[in-house]
Amino acid sequence: MTKLNELSIIEASAKLQAGEITAVDLARACLAEIERDRPEGTVDRLNAYLEVFTDVEEQAKQADERRKAGESHPLLGIPLAIKDNILIKGKKVSAASKMLEHYSATYDATVIQKLKDAGTVFLGRTNMDEFALGGSTENSAFGPTKNPHDPTRVAGGTSGGSAAAVAAHMCLGALGTDTGGSVRNPASFCGVVGLKPTYGTVSRSGLIAAVSSFDQAGPITKTVEDAKLIFDTIRGKDILDATSIDEDLYPKHTQKKIIGVIKLNVETAKENMDAVNSTVQVFSAAIKKLENEGFKIVEINLPSMQPALAAYYITNFAEVSSNLSRFDGVRYGLSLSGESLFDDYAKSRGEGFGAETRRRIILGTYVLSAGYYDAYYGKAVAAREQLRKEFEQTFKDVDVIATPTMPTPAWKIGEKSDPLSAYLADIFTVTANLTGNPAISVPMGTVDGLPVGIQFTAAHGDEETLFRVGKNVAGEEK
Amino acid sequence: MISKEEIEKLAELSRLKLGEEEIAALQKDISSILDYVGQISALEGGEIKKEVGLNHNVMREDIPYVKENPLLESRDAVLEALPKREGDYAVVRKILHKND
Repeated sequence: MTKLNELSIIEASAKLQAGEITAVDLARACLAEIERDRPEGTVDRLNAYLEVFTDVEEQAKQADERRKAGESHPLLGIPLAIKDNILIKGKKVSAASKMLEHYSATYDATVIQKLKDAGTVFLGRTNMDEFALGGSTENSAFGPTKNPHDPTRVAGGTSGGSAAAVAAHMCLGALGTDTGGSVRNPASFCGVVGLKPTYGTVSRSGLIAAVSSFDQAGPITKTVEDAKLIFDTIRGKDILDATSIDEDLYPKHTQKKIIGVIKLNVETAKENMDAVNSTVQVFSAAIKKLENEGFKIVEINLPSMQPALAAYYITNFAEVSSNLSRFDGVRYGLSLSGESLFDDYAKSRGEGFGAETRRRIILGTYVLSAGYYDAYYGKAVAAREQLRKEFEQTFKDVDVIATPTMPTPAWKIGEKSDPLSAYLADIFTVTANLTGNPAISVPMGTVDGLPVGIQFTAAHGDEETLFRVGKNVAGEEK
Repeated sequence: MISKEEIEKLAELSRLKLGEEEIAALQKDISSILDYVGQISALEGGEIKKEVGLNHNVMREDIPYVKENPLLESRDAVLEALPKREGDYAVVRKILHKND
């Protein structure tokens, strides 16, 4: 019999509903998996969790009580892992930063409130790149998360802890956040499913902001059906997030059974070329399979893909430097004293933020400074708008755009020491954040034994098509 | 390459204390990153117009949001989070001094 922690959410939910198992059984199975082979000084063997909550069994008992009292939400009693930048009232939330190491959340994020209403059990908070800046979880102040398929490799990022915890069955599903691929990238590297919803569909209230115009919370799960279940639970317009949208804002997309593929052009170092070529091969095979199953495949042209990565990073730097200015050592977080007020700020921020975070703040300050603003930020805004229009036009003719999620499988921990080479790996994921379109990563095969994902991007508000095509690839279609 | 003085100026504007070694590393990293993202300056205004696009104001009546607002009960927790506190106030450093 499958171990309880290895069940999908849908499977576990059916067993709970049938009274075959309890939420306490499920929680204990996950806790046992987290505890297994744990080295000294860590929470679990992969460094996926930064903290496992002490009240997990208590939460599970309450879920069982609620079921006895007649409740039956499909997520009632389901144990989930939560990325460390999503606020759960009274629990620590550090964004994997020294800046917030001892900070406790003062309120519930809207997504957490919705999961609490459903009766979800929160197992703990998962590792990530500090303030969601990175793509491998190597920028965590508390050490990298290891890939469950090869512990010498990264789990991806920035939601690396969430994806590793799902892949290693240390939870049934997880929440991540996606700023430039942070849900889809680790999902691809760890061989699980990750969804970035349409911008505005899921409330950002209670998420520690990275890039406010890109950030969306999304599920990381073992199956596409599970991702849909969590998505349906956390979505909805929220008065606490002025950028959240009405469900019917975007017109309904008419199905055509047409998939658009772009002529792939990956900039990469020579030593990565084999990995890129192998990934493209797996991708071509996945597309061929979809064609055999009745999808029409068309090649599409998106000229604005070319400057997309530059536009993405300029916007990222600019918003990060603005968003992180709130950390001043006065209101919350790390507070160090220097010779003057200026010194207090500079010392608290200099020591509280990690190297990549400091680098992006400096870059953001540069691209927003007088004299450079038009050349960088102004152009990035224009390129973004142009790309959005090209996407809108494209979705008149196709249901989804398909690419590999990442140009390669997971790299070795420490391999990408040059920041720019790490940025270039985001080439396929950033576009959906620039345009606000929904995108999903689903496992499509392996390269040298390591999982690689296929990414589908759909029209605004058309997550349903992502689930339908995703289920087809994952073999979940009946 | 971006100069040491420029990095120091940016660090000052960003309220970040940086060590000498980091400043030297940043000169190199930031120059190569700016070279890459700088390709965007080559885009011409002719085909790419600067538009407001995705960003628009969201207006609402100026009435307090009370029903189910999770922030309402957070006042004490927010005060608890203050690094230096006197009563219900955050303690900040004096920035104005008397002339001697």
